[in-house]
Amino acid sequence: MDADPKGEELRVGVFVCDCGLNIAGAVDCQAVADYAETLPDVVCVVRNKYTCADPGQNEIKRAIQEHKLNRVVVAACTPLQHEPTFRACVKDVGLNPYLMEMANLREHCSWVHPGDKEAATRKAKDLVASAVARARWLEPQEETTVPVTKRALVIGGGVAGMEAALQLGDAGHQVVLVEKEASIGGIMAQLDKTYPTMDCSI
Amino acid sequence: MATMENFKCMMCGYEYQELVEEGEDKERSCPKCRSNSIRHLKNRPSGDNTDGKSKKVKQ
Amino acid sequence: MEEVSGYIGNFTITIRKKARYVDTSVCNACAECANVCPVLKPDEYQMGLSTRKAIYIPFPQAVPCSYILNMDDCLGNNPIACGKCAEACEQDAINYDDEDELIKREVGAVIVAIGLDVYDPTEMDEYGYTRYDNVITSMEFERLICAGGPTEGHFVRPSDHERPKRIGFIQCVGSRNPEIGRPYCSNICCMNTIKDTLLLADHYPDVQCSVFYQDIRAFGKSFEDMFQRSKEAGTRYIRGLPGDIEEDPETRNLTLIAENTTTGQIERHEFDMIVLSVGVVPPKDLAKISGLLTLSKTSDGFFMESHPKLKPVDAPTRGIFFAGFCEAPKDIKDSVCQAGAASSRAGALLNKGQVQVEAITSVIDADACRKCGACAPVCPYSAIKWKKGEVAVVIEAACAGCGNCGAACNFDAITMRHFTDAQYLAQIRAILAEDPQDKVFVFACNWCSYSGGDMAGISRMTYPASNRLVRTMCSARVSEEMVLEAFRCGAPVVLVSGCHYADCHYINANRQTVKRVQRLWNKLEKAGVRPERLQLEWISAAEGQKFAKVMGQMEELRKTVTKEEIEHAMEALKPKPRKAKKEKEAAAVTG
Repeated sequence: MDADPKGEELRVGVFVCDCGLNIAGAVDCQAVADYAETLPDVVCVVRNKYTCADPGQNEIKRAIQEHKLNRVVVAACTPLQHEPTFRACVKDVGLNPYLMEMANLREHCSWVHPGDKEAATRKAKDLVASAVARARWLEPQEETTVPVTKRALVIGGGVAGMEAALQLGDAGHQVVLVEKEASIGGIMAQLDKTYPTMDCSI
Repeated sequence: MATMENFKCMMCGYEYQELVEEGEDKERSCPKCRSNSIRHLKNRPSGDNTDGKSKKVKQ
Repeated sequence: MEEVSGYIGNFTITIRKKARYVDTSVCNACAECANVCPVLKPDEYQMGLSTRKAIYIPFPQAVPCSYILNMDDCLGNNPIACGKCAEACEQDAINYDDEDELIKREVGAVIVAIGLDVYDPTEMDEYGYTRYDNVITSMEFERLICAGGPTEGHFVRPSDHERPKRIGFIQCVGSRNPEIGRPYCSNICCMNTIKDTLLLADHYPDVQCSVFYQDIRAFGKSFEDMFQRSKEAGTRYIRGLPGDIEEDPETRNLTLIAENTTTGQIERHEFDMIVLSVGVVPPKDLAKISGLLTLSKTSDGFFMESHPKLKPVDAPTRGIFFAGFCEAPKDIKDSVCQAGAASSRAGALLNKGQVQVEAITSVIDADACRKCGACAPVCPYSAIKWKKGEVAVVIEAACAGCGNCGAACNFDAITMRHFTDAQYLAQIRAILAEDPQDKVFVFACNWCSYSGGDMAGISRMTYPASNRLVRTMCSARVSEEMVLEAFRCGAPVVLVSGCHYADCHYINANRQTVKRVQRLWNKLEKAGVRPERLQLEWISAAEGQKFAKVMGQMEELRKTVTKEEIEHAMEALKPKPRKAKKEKEAAAVTG
């Protein structure tokens, strides 16, 4: 099953990020990069100081074109932070964004294992191996576009809810404001004066 | 209808009983160690009583 | 709020519009109805310091500016017995037969601004709130000093309606107090007390205020200036929180006993009145709203944002934004700022008019489908249509991509786009290719446990480096096969982790996770594999600490698993040809 995923020639590029010293301080990034070279279908490995910065992203784009990469693994931080960044980056040079995979060497590795470089590096290698294994099985996907109903719901008619509803209204949007009490105003309406201006709350 | 059911914590091994309401939707955690690895010992295959069902519940 | 369904750009909400029994379009707030109403109830707006009628206007500036009849207070719940207000109303605005109305609306974005509740200090017995008349809360203070309050702004103490001259303020009541489960700073109480002392100094120059505090946090723009003015106005600031308050039964004056931590002396101070500067707590409705919108909470009980620094007003669920207190304690200015940010984020979405949805939905291979129907009932969104004897069909627009059906399918007929079985099996094999005995294999759901791991990282909590984590959208994506494969590859310990029940981002998909894990425990035991090697934990996105703790526990558990055990499991859990397995099961049943 995992011998030759799709029959197409796989060309995986791995980009190992130092994140300054955020990753490189606790993980031997060179060892991780060297290890990545040995993984199946990996044709190009690049180390970056900051992969998310322009030079790092440009490096990815250049490598995709130069090495005809069709899978990209970014070994950096959590995908919850930078997956959109790198998806957009590979898309820029024509690669389907779903062919990019991340390995979380920062939040899940370097930041939590600062005392044991050897163990952290071992873990980082496995995380990269896992990401490459997954990348080899990735397929291009097309996102669906759905329309957005042009109306907003604001739950709560206190100072925050009223302000949000008014601003949305000012911007020309329809707003539904829901308040559980008989009047809007919230806790603020119960205050006398408010700091720092010492003026009335209502 | 509520029934008394047997549970075992798969982290610390603590066994206990709890009243279970029919159709209840409740997150379980071990009363001793707070682990969520709570095994429901109901309907276990008979003849298998290595660790639970036939034992008295420790209080 | 009754019900919410849908997803970013396309939510359908159901609102219960409560019966007011007064037609707001004709009520002219003349007060004739309240004048004749015979029922007296504590006035909530005035913190119970005065009364209102069963038919009342919440406060003079209320919007809508209309009376409301509280049916629970109305005589015997039977308006026919009284009916005075309807008689008095010249506008014919009162309708005793008014009913709740359910309203459905389609919306593209949701801003959650459900605010706060004020801490009730009754449980802090040492301060004697409710026991001593002249111990009041800072909210009651607001009403007592307000011109629109029960005393029309004449500041008097409750016991004898005399004007107090010596007033003590106690800070951090219900804040920064782990013993009562409120470890956080409520943000606003220091400045509120400073404001109160300035108001008193302005209204009554002869009043002497003393403030008992642990730290004064006056960090905002022009706050320090107010603090200095308060001190210049004669307010005494004494570092130390009181341990006890005694009341003189004659004078009803209060003696407060506190350690002044600057001098180290135990001091006794007598006051005419004591104001408890109460903290704030998450609103009671938070759990309900959280459930309706699948949001999560941080450890202090307020809503969890998408990212503490970079996405401070976005909820982890797309299309939902936070404004104000419900996200974290903040003052009016910050609430207004956040409301602006939230409306701008929501506005950007509405302006664009369309949104990309991740391509992670479920696809059913009609040829492989055995028409068994195992997938349809586990879908929390009812996105799979199946009839006996027919191939199951996915309604893509309704599918949220949890993967529950993919894990439930026994015939490899369901592919989760971008999270396929093949991808997971490849990851499991890659991770456990070398020295599997050293590794704890973890399945973590995208929304909670994986994010909990991120939170542990952001907070730099250290834990053993033995775990290897694979991300699934939902813990219910983890199939029995995926867990078994990890054991087959030599994993000593496998952990399946997901959101807490209340936080499940796919309505209730993780209940299936529990069922699968239960079945796996039975299977493992049957195969002679110690079932404890499979663990289950719920870790929320905010529980970095729990994540780190659990990883420590897993490592301890891993150390107890012997080489022989691992080898036995690798052998015993080998997949059997389907036919042979069925025969064996049949034999087991008849035998």
